[in-house]
Amino acid sequence: MDNRIAMIGLLVLAALAFGLFWKSRTGRAKLVRSGKQVDLSKLKASKAGVPVSSFGQTATLLQFSTEVCSICASTARLYGELEKSNPGLKHIEVDITHRMDLAAHFSIMQTPTTLILDKHGMVKARIGGAPRQNVITEEIRKLENK
Amino acid sequence: MTPGQLDPRGPRFGAGITSVLMLLVIYFSLEPATVPIAVGILAFSVVMFTFGSTVGPAKHPFSYLYKFTLRKFLKEPTYLEPDKPVHFAQVIGLVVTGSGLVLHLLSVPNALPISAALAFLAAFVNAVFAYCIGCQMYLGLKRLGVIR
Repeated sequence: MDNRIAMIGLLVLAALAFGLFWKSRTGRAKLVRSGKQVDLSKLKASKAGVPVSSFGQTATLLQFSTEVCSICASTARLYGELEKSNPGLKHIEVDITHRMDLAAHFSIMQTPTTLILDKHGMVKARIGGAPRQNVITEEIRKLENK
Repeated sequence: MTPGQLDPRGPRFGAGITSVLMLLVIYFSLEPATVPIAVGILAFSVVMFTFGSTVGPAKHPFSYLYKFTLRKFLKEPTYLEPDKPVHFAQVIGLVVTGSGLVLHLLSVPNALPISAALAFLAAFVNAVFAYCIGCQMYLGLKRLGVIR
């Protein structure tokens, strides 16, 4: 067989494996032990034009976005819907395009990155990439029972 | 359609075309007699990425091709995607294919298949998995100070 076809076949397989690996990893919640407490005065987030001064009563979804992010908007839409149906839940979105200090502080290498915070603002879990709705609701349920 | 917003299937369609083109570049670049064909296809892709990087993804030739072909058979998109990430990914594509072409013209060995393989990888996962590597790289590159 032509060697070139074999090489191309291998490349396609490698790309397929890479894509499947990425797909299996993205959107999963990683539990954060001994998480930091988020300092709202340093975060300087605002929601609908009003500075955010408190966390959600049961949980907070802290979403980091950038201007260059294909799935941040749809992620924010999902969180907005969850917020509407869960009264204790708060969604905060921070655009870190010009806030590299925050990116370094929270070691963010991709957007969206979501930190799930408890009612005291302690980081409990971290999700890189497009979240899966069942993962989010499961994490929220855990915090509600505390 | 709202300006600055795209039907997300458009860029994926374009990435699919780019994937096929990149495989052709690799195929033709591995045989000395057909290297000029590989150069021609890669040069064409560089021109396409230049379109995407300058006039933007909405006015990309592949985007028009999508609009007049596949789009007609599909339902309305359920959501729209901002064009800025796609624009950035086009710039990354231009850098990868453009440097491959330039390095080849400077007689660097294997510049064609290597740059085409990298571009293929990015285009393929974009087309098949809707995974935009360029968009993901943005924050990392910015944190490393490569881009401002």
